[in-house]
Amino acid sequence: MPKIDVITRNLMLDSLKHYAKDNISFNFLREHDAKNEMPLELIKQMYDPKILGLHLLLIPVEYGGLSGSTTDIYRVCEELARIDLGIATSVFATFLGSDPLNVGGMPEQKAKWFGKIANEQLLVAYGATEADAGSDLVSLRTRAEHVTENGKVTGYKITGSKMWISSGGVADIYTVLAIAPGGVSWFIVERGTPGFTQDAHEDKHGIRLSNTAGLSFDEVYVPAENLIGLTEGQGLRQAQAVFGYTRLMVAAFGLGAGEEAVETAIHYAQQRIQGGGPLVDKQGYMLKLITPHYIRFEGARAFIDFVAKQLDDNSHGLATEGAIAKYYATEEGNNAAEHAIQALGGFGYTKEFSVEKIKRDVKITCIYEGTNEIMEMTIYRGRWKEHLQTRGKYYQDWADKLDAAHAKKSDVGADSAALALRALAKILEECRLQKLTREQFVTFKLGEMIANAEVAAVFAQKCADGIITEGSRFDLAALCAMSRVLSREAAFFVANTGIKYILGAGAGSAAELNAAVSMSAIEDKMSGLIIDSDLISAKLKEIFKK
Amino acid sequence: MNIVVCLKQVPDSTQVKVDPKTGTLIRAGVPSILNPYDHYALERALEIKAKTGAALAVLCMGPAQAAAVIRLALALGADKGVLLSDRAFAGSDTWATSYALSQAIKKLGKTDLIICGQMAIDGDTAQTGPGIAFHLNIAQLTFCTAVDSDGKKVTVRKLIDGGHQTMETALPALVTTTMPYDYKARYPSFLGAFHAQEKPMQTWTAKDVDADPKKLGLEGSPTRVGRIFPPPARAKGEVFNGSPAELASKIVDILKKESILK
Repeated sequence: MPKIDVITRNLMLDSLKHYAKDNISFNFLREHDAKNEMPLELIKQMYDPKILGLHLLLIPVEYGGLSGSTTDIYRVCEELARIDLGIATSVFATFLGSDPLNVGGMPEQKAKWFGKIANEQLLVAYGATEADAGSDLVSLRTRAEHVTENGKVTGYKITGSKMWISSGGVADIYTVLAIAPGGVSWFIVERGTPGFTQDAHEDKHGIRLSNTAGLSFDEVYVPAENLIGLTEGQGLRQAQAVFGYTRLMVAAFGLGAGEEAVETAIHYAQQRIQGGGPLVDKQGYMLKLITPHYIRFEGARAFIDFVAKQLDDNSHGLATEGAIAKYYATEEGNNAAEHAIQALGGFGYTKEFSVEKIKRDVKITCIYEGTNEIMEMTIYRGRWKEHLQTRGKYYQDWADKLDAAHAKKSDVGADSAALALRALAKILEECRLQKLTREQFVTFKLGEMIANAEVAAVFAQKCADGIITEGSRFDLAALCAMSRVLSREAAFFVANTGIKYILGAGAGSAAELNAAVSMSAIEDKMSGLIIDSDLISAKLKEIFKK
Repeated sequence: MNIVVCLKQVPDSTQVKVDPKTGTLIRAGVPSILNPYDHYALERALEIKAKTGAALAVLCMGPAQAAAVIRLALALGADKGVLLSDRAFAGSDTWATSYALSQAIKKLGKTDLIICGQMAIDGDTAQTGPGIAFHLNIAQLTFCTAVDSDGKKVTVRKLIDGGHQTMETALPALVTTTMPYDYKARYPSFLGAFHAQEKPMQTWTAKDVDADPKKLGLEGSPTRVGRIFPPPARAKGEVFNGSPAELASKIVDILKKESILK
């Protein structure tokens, strides 16, 4: 069986776009949003193998699926988010719910459950979160007690409750994390099992087309064969093994929702005449509300794809990279939707326009799959370790590579990206010397600086290598201009933020820190920032003209 | 029965803009699609295939990236695809293109029915289909809305002033299809797209189809394009508001003013 190639991936995305165009109108979304209702029939139709068969992407080929790669799935996630983040979340719930099986299931378990999910178009829910166990799964309380027959474990009785489970009220199959005598483990629980009940659908701020409900287990019996992997105590490892991957999908959600919001804004800006011309011709409007978002979207896209390709090349984990992608793209998606409302003025504030709904929807991406504060911590921890292990060489070596890229192609801002990474190395080292990571807030800020610097660095490298990331609508010249802006912004942000919080924590001297991060060199690079931004605005006007 | 459907990859005209200064098309960021008339033709061929078990090949002339429209056809149910791709074809007009395509059809072997979209949305000439029929010296039925075949003859329906016309001819024949205004193209399922990867697809050059180089490209193209320009924009219309009675008398006033009513 072949892997899905680029042409096939694009065919699938086209089919999804056309399906949405024909079947999912804005009025349909608005009504379901107002009624707080999940369009279950529509989701089932999207799972129908004769119509789309979306869910087959996550099912291995040997069980009737398509063995979608990380790249395939993130691109579909991005497109789904452009359609509706509630629908996207419903589909993602099945992806996520099936993951423990994918990671830890025995072949016969996979054959049985994936076969069912593929053929019967079943919805799956991922039951991990509890009242006291969100990002901190160690505080789990749900228990699975042994049921024995003649001294042999034949099954489990699960007792406890789960909350905020996507598709919790509507799924057919649930993967449930519980503490067994041998440790935390995943179990498969079918809807309708005695003692298993689902709570009412939550009344949420956004993603109201996604069902969210609590689950209650009162001595729910499941046979021993429903223990995923047939060995107890594998649950946390199985849950954490896929974070790099699942967070990439949420990153794609932030990207897709943000793009949809700003695209609505730019179409509006082409038509709205104020002060004698369309808003799209007003520099202040574009450079404040529109253009920076496209620059950051393209940075996010380059980074998400960079991580996806590594996961597809059998790199495991990549938890730090997944966290950077999730943090950067979802913060950006959320900010972009906020600006899209502003860009539409009074119209944006009404429910007649999609941006109001997108803004409510996209907020969840900063919260689920680990809040963005957890992401900041994860990013800091991951790279702090690298910084210590390499004795501060991690970012310096990377900066050397960017200098080489700059020597090869001098118009992508790789020089600024190198300055950003060198400044970051200095700031991390200063934090080590002054023991500043005892301040938790400083570690959050380090996470933020790292994310901004790495996204800019990856984007600049790709531009220097002449790579246009799949899904981008821009040509290389426009992407290079974007990279020049993003790299400058990253260098300026890293240097200034680093100095601010080192001094703020009562350490260092301003003059020495400015010299250490090469502040004047970074400031010199700012020349041309506005010209480049205007260039990108002009490109946006050309591409998104109606 | 063997059916061949000819396909063209075109820019999505709903997203193409014309640069008002230079008169050229702005192609930046514009996606390429299967020409909608060809999509309709393909779906008609798939219906005949479903009914008769005919073998269905699709043929497309274009650059390497045009393989995407062949893959789409395979995903929807075509059996095999051929991409005719060679620098020698560059600059071909409809005459040279129909010659090249007819050579490829000859190489495909015994072909009973050829279905083409009436025209491509980027050129609007409606000449390539008839050109192929001419080069192959077979019957042609053009501008059809419905196509049916039992393997011996082909029956088509055409929209004419005041009604429909039904026509029939013996095979082999070539049919070009127009499409109804409310046509919604069908797209493949994910599974269909996936399995299309395993279907046979070949790329042929001018040499592969024994095409005479003198009949290809600019040299083989008698058409000379003088200038392409967008029509001047129409003046903005005027909008009137009021009750039906007020508006009716307003319209009568205007018609009188324009000397249309006396």
